Amino acid sequence: MTVVQTLLVFVGIPLGIIVLLFLFTYGNSLVRQPNRYRPGRAWTYEPRWFVPHPDAVVHDTGQRQIEAGASSTTAVGGASGEW
Amino acid sequence: MSGEVSAAGRVELQQGPQGSAQDDGPFTASQLARLDEALTLSSGETGLTFSVYVGELQAPPRAHAEALFEKLTDDSVLIAVSPGQRLAHIVTGPGSSKRLPNRACALAALAMRASFANGDLVGGIVTGLRMLADSAGGR
Repeated sequence: MTVVQTLLVFVGIPLGIIVLLFLFTYGNSLVRQPNRYRPGRAWTYEPRWFVPHPDAVVHDTGQRQIEAGASSTTAVGGASGEW
Repeated sequence: MSGEVSAAGRVELQQGPQGSAQDDGPFTASQLARLDEALTLSSGETGLTFSVYVGELQAPPRAHAEALFEKLTDDSVLIAVSPGQRLAHIVTGPGSSKRLPNRACALAALAMRASFANGDLVGGIVTGLRMLADSAGGR
């Protein structure tokens, strides 16, 4: 056996197995970064504002409650929290 | 899918699917579906308009949340969450505060805090929506 062959068998094959196991374990999360929130980390996303589907919110008169820019009101109460 | 205002400065509320605008957002498709379901169910059950704002709140945060709320209606409830600042505000209006006293809002905020502290943003928002809808009762 030449030196190259020895290296291939005793170093190359173990390394190959290690890389294969690493890919099996972490491959999925390397390709697809989960955009999970972790407390204390900066939030770099654009602000988003979610409103219910208009069909879900119907006045007694059948009129939609949210009319874009048509209404205005004042805040009365509520609560707040920090974590 | 819920309507969404992607830019905070924009005055009008957008409704309906936003298509590819959601691709690079902070939430996965299944999370958005949960959020949408919770919003639609709680709003449909109670007759109040629940809306959820996720993003930075400029200082003072309470004033910013109330300014956002003023674009809504009397029967609206705004849940404003700022993950970066670790702040959450619930704002009620003249109509909704009769059915949701501050005590009920504080309880919901407490439950939301617990989820947020664990890093579960959508879970916290969904919990808050459920608790607020339960407190407000049917229409």
